[in-house]
Amino acid sequence: MSIEQEPRTQTQASATQRRYRTLAVVRQEAITRVEKPLEDSVFVWPHLLVREFFAATIVTVMVTLLALQINAPLELPANPNVTPNPAKAPWYFLGLQELLHYFPPTTGGVLVPGLVLVALAVLPYIDRNPSRAYADRKVAIITFTMFLIFWAVVTLAGSFFRGPGWLWVWPWVNMYFNL
Amino acid sequence: MSSTSKKSLLDTMTQKMVESQVWRSVMRHGYPDTPLNQSLVMMGNVFLHLHPVKVSRQAMKITYTWCMGGISFFLFLLLTLTGVFLMFFYIPETHVAYQNINQLDSAVSFGQLVRNMHRWAAHLMVVSVALHMIRVFYHGAYKPPREFNWVVGVFLFFVTLFLSFTGYLLPWDQIAIWAITVGTNLAPYTPILGDTVYKVMVGGSAVGQPTLIRFYVAHVILLPLAAALLMAVHFWRIRKDGGEAGPPPPSRREIESSAERSTVGAAR
Repeated sequence: MSIEQEPRTQTQASATQRRYRTLAVVRQEAITRVEKPLEDSVFVWPHLLVREFFAATIVTVMVTLLALQINAPLELPANPNVTPNPAKAPWYFLGLQELLHYFPPTTGGVLVPGLVLVALAVLPYIDRNPSRAYADRKVAIITFTMFLIFWAVVTLAGSFFRGPGWLWVWPWVNMYFNL
Repeated sequence: MSSTSKKSLLDTMTQKMVESQVWRSVMRHGYPDTPLNQSLVMMGNVFLHLHPVKVSRQAMKITYTWCMGGISFFLFLLLTLTGVFLMFFYIPETHVAYQNINQLDSAVSFGQLVRNMHRWAAHLMVVSVALHMIRVFYHGAYKPPREFNWVVGVFLFFVTLFLSFTGYLLPWDQIAIWAITVGTNLAPYTPILGDTVYKVMVGGSAVGQPTLIRFYVAHVILLPLAAALLMAVHFWRIRKDGGEAGPPPPSRREIESSAERSTVGAAR
């Protein structure tokens, strides 16, 4: 708020008759919105940095223990004339390889992964619902959860339930899986 | 000698050191135990200044972030370190690559440990990036003003997968070439560009020496650079888009119903 004062010849009496002019109206919630996160914030040093330090330490210890316990696989030297059966892709692509069992390569191997990636990339521009509340996002949450379950199922099937000739083999009978 | 005089000697030495010109040229502020110094350390340190000075208590909670973005970045650093170590012992040539890995496992000090760490950290990074994306989706943190940062994140996910995929070929054993053969055999099915994509990736009619050198260069230079660039944008945009989103607010209906309940309670 700005106060416009009468010129210099101000006396004690005229000071009581100051003229006020409204320049702008600031909404109350605009002020509280600025103040609210400030009240609820903490210094990054030490509060966040301590957490990051411990997270990094735990991950390092975990990776080191894993590395001490389990050796990275090294099979026989590459031989283009001997095809292992089954020939499996890395685990994160085994969902795709499982889809290839059901669909022609153009659909299962190119269009599906391509469309999934494009759909992920443009997701914020498709989902125009401005609310972040769980209760307002039922369609988005259910759709995404179904997609995740579907992807987990095909990846697990491709990883642990497929054997020579991509035939169904129960994991307790024989496991064809490489990391 | 009494312990008090020892302690005072240490104290005076510490004070001398901290007040020296060298120390003060490195540290432009005192130890960060006052609000001023806690701010100065975040603004004056090139590594720490990725972070803001203050952060919302709610958005910082481990139960909210699962720390998955930070862990992904840390695994990337760990992979860079272990990867550089491995590069000293590895030649991307089909006749020696396998032997190099074999020697790394048997003859190089800490060779097997570092190779194992590189392998498991790579798998963990695919998992942590995926969990990070799942977390961000469920919290709706991709919504305006953070739409573009989600897009950058999707590209980072893509780069992560291809970093892991290109690394898979390098040991040049049976799983390596056949996993890559299975993967690259899909390329020709790409509409229109199929054969071009295959040629660019494989460099011939089957996975061989040209493929190995392509995957190696992509794995050690191109993709890590792309990842670093995208991460710089990703982290910068977190700050510029208003920091971490924080837990989703309750829906309007939930607020209204709780307000109703309290007014009903007041009326009674």
